[in-house]
Amino acid sequence: MRPILLKGHERPLTQVKYNRDGDLIFTTSKDQQICVWFSHNGERLGTYRGHQGAIWSVDVDPTSTIIASGSADNTIRLWDIKTGKCLKSWEFPTAVKRVEFNEDGSKLLGVTEKRMGHLGTIVVLDIKIDVEAEQSDEKALTIVCEESKATVAGWSYLSKYIIAGHEDGSVSQYDAKTGDLIYNIPVHELNSSITDMQWSSDRTYFITASQDKTAKLISAKDLEVLKSYPADTPLNTATITAKKDFVILGGGQAASEVTTTSSRQGRFEARFYHKIFEDEIGRVRGHFGPLNSIAADPTGKSYASGGEDGYVRVHHFDKGYFDFMYEVERERANRQQQMGTATA
Amino acid sequence: EDAERITSADVAVVEHRRRVLDEWYAWRDAMEKELAEERAALGLPADPVGELLRAKAAEIAPDGQEQVIE
Repeated sequence: MRPILLKGHERPLTQVKYNRDGDLIFTTSKDQQICVWFSHNGERLGTYRGHQGAIWSVDVDPTSTIIASGSADNTIRLWDIKTGKCLKSWEFPTAVKRVEFNEDGSKLLGVTEKRMGHLGTIVVLDIKIDVEAEQSDEKALTIVCEESKATVAGWSYLSKYIIAGHEDGSVSQYDAKTGDLIYNIPVHELNSSITDMQWSSDRTYFITASQDKTAKLISAKDLEVLKSYPADTPLNTATITAKKDFVILGGGQAASEVTTTSSRQGRFEARFYHKIFEDEIGRVRGHFGPLNSIAADPTGKSYASGGEDGYVRVHHFDKGYFDFMYEVERERANRQQQMGTATA
Repeated sequence: EDAERITSADVAVVEHRRRVLDEWYAWRDAMEKELAEERAALGLPADPVGELLRAKAAEIAPDGQEQVIE
């Protein structure tokens, strides 16, 4: 699993995101630019310039036509993927920490930062996936987080719920149409901030990463915690792999571990767990600083990690990875194959 | 005797994993069924992104024909 090193950012990475086809990787960084790369060879296609502050978040619509970004310059921007042109900018009173499209790309949510005189909010914008279209200035919805600010948020299946992870370690489920709070559940340790949340492919469940050194797999419908993955370091990110039932976690405490980092290879690791059995099954070293964001290729071929060290590392999975199976999984696969032959 | 104890421990682990796996797939099957029903009830396409991509392709090549780009 030889990694491809993507060099282009000059500051820590903040988010890494694949498009739906898995051929493009979008990355954001504190260096104020968004980059797009070919996932198969790591070649940089281009950059999107215009933000006047650190960029915290990026998302790509399901048809790979436009991307949205959220920045410390208090704006959400829309960009034409092909031309790199900025199509629209919305201003907010505070930084935008997270953006995400819903499943059909008709809506975009943004998580805004809490600051003196401003509570944290989740805003919803109506989007037209068309580079020629005039985008609406008006917010379709604003959810105010009175209890604890949201750090991350996303859209469930059918765009039915907005799910948010909070600074206090809890997870909320809101009605995505009305913005009404349905549930708020303390999922992680009290006041251990939720640092990332990423969806399963059908958006019926998601994974959260927290500073409490755990990641949790949670059902979107009722916020039931399905699985828990304990690590030995605060986590910044967690993702669910396609094709194989794994999750990948990333994090790392910078200050204490930096002194022990060997000069040849960084010691910060991506940790693989079995999604269903919750066992840790492997680690991949490489970064020289904490892993801030990991994304899994929706087609299952690779994963990419963005580090505090300013690098993105893309790993294409090898045969051993695809062949790996627990005995009981093999049993099940064989049984299903037999049933398939029986009905055929 | 030791070997026997180890074997029975292994059996217990495997039994546990088998149960965990079955529970997971039971939940997945139920969730997928519920999702398909809700989608149908709302009159939404089973594959919303597939629809979008078809629409995008139709826009690029309106008559559904492949075009030769020089």
